Formats: sequence, C-alpha cells, structure tokens
Amino acid sequence: MSAESLPTYSVRELNNAIGVLLERGFAPRFVIQATASRPQVKKGHLWLTLSDGDASITAVAWASKLKQLDFVPADGDGVTVIGRLNFWSARASLAVQVLDMRPSLTTVLRRFETVKAQLLEEGVIDPGRRRKLPAYPKRLAVLTSVPSSALADMLRTAQERWPLSELLVVPIPVQGEVAPIICGVLSRLAEQHHQLRLDAIVLARGGGSREDLMVFDDADVCRILASFPLPVVTGLGHEDDLTVADLVADHRAATPTAAMVTLMPSKESAQQTISQRRTRLSEYKRWRLEQASSRLKERHLQLHTFRPAVALQRRRNQWEQRQQLLLALSPQRWLHRGFAMLHTANGQPVQSIDDICLNEQVHIRLKDGVVQAITKTIQANESSNSQASL
Amino acid sequence: MPRKKPEPSKTSEQDTWREDASQLSYEEALQALDVLLGQLQDDSIPLADLQKNHARASIYLDRCDLLLSQVEQSVRQLDPNTMEERMLDTSNNE
Repeated sequence: MSAESLPTYSVRELNNAIGVLLERGFAPRFVIQATASRPQVKKGHLWLTLSDGDASITAVAWASKLKQLDFVPADGDGVTVIGRLNFWSARASLAVQVLDMRPSLTTVLRRFETVKAQLLEEGVIDPGRRRKLPAYPKRLAVLTSVPSSALADMLRTAQERWPLSELLVVPIPVQGEVAPIICGVLSRLAEQHHQLRLDAIVLARGGGSREDLMVFDDADVCRILASFPLPVVTGLGHEDDLTVADLVADHRAATPTAAMVTLMPSKESAQQTISQRRTRLSEYKRWRLEQASSRLKERHLQLHTFRPAVALQRRRNQWEQRQQLLLALSPQRWLHRGFAMLHTANGQPVQSIDDICLNEQVHIRLKDGVVQAITKTIQANESSNSQASL
Repeated sequence: MPRKKPEPSKTSEQDTWREDASQLSYEEALQALDVLLGQLQDDSIPLADLQKNHARASIYLDRCDLLLSQVEQSVRQLDPNTMEERMLDTSNNE
C-alpha cells in the first residue's frame, strides 16, 4: 500500500465526509438504554452523558424538546432514549440528540422503594390509619386527566352504579414532572372540602406503563394524600401497578373503573333492599293485626264458655273446703276427745307448771262445762328441776 | 248518606312527613325507615301507633324509590386553580 492509493482529504473534507457517511449510513432514529450522568442545563439546553459502564457518549435535549419531555433524569438514573445523531463537522464532534427520554423501569422501582422506605419511617404509610369509605357518597371529587378514556370509563360506571352521587371532575396532569401541580390542586381541595361538600376523592390515571406512573411515587404528593381530610381512593394504572400513592390511600383499587365500583353502591342492590323492606313493612302490619285479632278471638271464646252457675259452685266448694279446715283446727274437737283446757282466773291459758302457783284458782274447761279448782300441789316431770308442794 | 270527611289532622301530619322526607338523602331515608321497622317489630306498640308508623315508613320507602329512579347523574368540573364549579368540558387538552 502506498500513499498515492489512499484517499486524501483536507480536515474539512474529512469531517464533511464523515458527516455524510453518518447521515447516509446510520439509522436516522435509534433507541439507547443507558445510565444518565451529570445532567446540566446550559443556555436552556439539557446536556448529559449516556453510559453503559463500558462506553459513554454525550447527549443533548435542545431547549424546544426539553419543554416537551415528561422526564428529566437525575444523576445516575437509568433511561431509555429515542435519539438521532448530531455531528458537527467543524470539530468532528458527535452527540445523541434526544427526541424522547423516559426513565427505565429500574429507575422507577428504585425510586418507589426509596420513597416507600422514607414514608414508612415517617409514619405516613400506616395501614392502621385507613378510613372507612362513605356507604352512600353524596358528592365525590374525581382527579384525573381531562379528557381521557379513564374519565369516560369512570363516568359511565358511576352513572350505572349510583347516579345519586354528584361528581366533581378536577383536571390534573398525570405524567411527567408535575408533582408540584398535583400537590397544589390537592392542597386547595383539602382547604375547601367543606364548602364543596365532598365525601371522598378519587385519584385516577388509566393505562400506560409503570414508568408513566412515576409522579405517584412523589413523596410530597403522597404526604398530602395521607393527610387529606377525606377518604382517598386511588385507581392508578393496571392491576399489577403499585405506587406509593396506593400505599397511603384509604383504599387502593386496581384501575380507575374499579375505584368507582368501590366507592359507589349498586343501585340494583339498593332497589332490591327497598323492595324487601316494603315486603317486610306490609308483613309486619299484617302480623300485628292478625295477632290482635287472634287475642280478641281468645277473649270471645273465654266469654262464651263462661257459666255463672259453674263459677258460683266453684266458689261455694272453695268456701266449704275452708270451713272444713277451720273445724278441723278448732279446739272444741280436742275437748270432745276428752282433753281439757286450763285457764287462770283472769283468763290466761295454763300450758306449763310455770304458768300457775300454789293455792291459785284455776278454771278447767271440759267438753260440757267449766270446773273451778284450787291448786294443792304442783309436780314437775322427772326431767324438770322445779318441784313444789304445800 | 252524608260522606265522611277526612280527618284534617291526619292528612296534614302525613303532608308534614312527606315534606320532611323530601329533604332526606337516600341514606337518611333508609335509616329513618329502619328505625320505624324496628319499632313495628316491638309487640308493645299500641295498635293506634301501628297505623301511624306504617304510614310514615311508607313515606320513607317512597322517598328511597324516588331517589333510586333517578337516571341522570350530576357531573360538574372544578377549576383546579380557583376551585370554581362549572359544566364539564371534555374538549380541554391536558
């Protein structure tokens, strides 16, 4: 090989040739998975380095694109970039022009774990603080993007389930670096919830990827949700998407539609309930009237079967029984059997030798008369100690 | 035979109940209904009160039925900055 067979360029020609080669021979758009480092905004443009541990390349998001980006990485964040090559032939310098940039799933999940740990330590995430949802909410605030298919689905579900509730739709951005905006809306809503007569709020965002939900891992947003004066229901993304906002909410629903199903009672069930109550009401009335009628019939029967003569004879029998008993208990019966009753002169009964003295007059009543006598001796039984004689 | 005139006091009492019930939410009407149903189960309630309670419970039932027959839901939009209510505007962009 000799110098004469090699292409010869000036520096400008060389750089231009490289530029042309890149323009013609390299993919006009491509995707890079990388780690972002040292992001800096200079004169409105975002400059950063993309690396994968083995190599690195400069990247730039021009100011016009920067405004449209939903995500601006911090140093060390994993990113997925859609870009194109920018080549400056004057100095043969190369950079990736960022057309779109999103956080990698690893970045999102790392941020989720970090914020979750932080709020657990602060006591903001506390399942014990979850409040009961209103059984029949009269007025709800629905925070979501407007318009959106998530909102349309929620309104349709609410209409079907419980049209009695009034809904207040509150438009919020649901993707990107919008945490301060969401915090502002939540704060104003919290201040005015009395005047707005709200019973609960729903925070919803439909569909998308887990990366799209990153704003709901924001610590400030979650602190405001946790301290909100009314119950909060979240319906963010899909069944498997769990954000920190879901952890601080009073109830986490899998989707926006599920959030409305959770909060709204079923009109059909309520109609059945009312129908059952109506049946109960008429049954109670009928039962009470039947009961009263039955009691009245019993009294009629008693009255019909009542015979005065029978009642009178029953009473006479009762009287005769008492009379017999009285006779049986009468002292006269004992006198007829040969017993006697003793009294002192002043009528006191003598039942013991202690009731009488020597030479005292005693009246002895027999079955057919009274004998008056004077005591001559008083003799105690052998078991007694008292003994006296004249 | 002369027609029997309705008892004015009973009619106005029920009118008062209806008017009161018309201000109740579904939950309030349902709770009031359940209280009366509980009382009706009580054997010690005189028969004279039975009719009154039944009439009043029917009024609460009618109120619940009316609310449940509502088809159109009220949906309004809140300005996120001023918190003022207005009609729902689905033409706004994010």
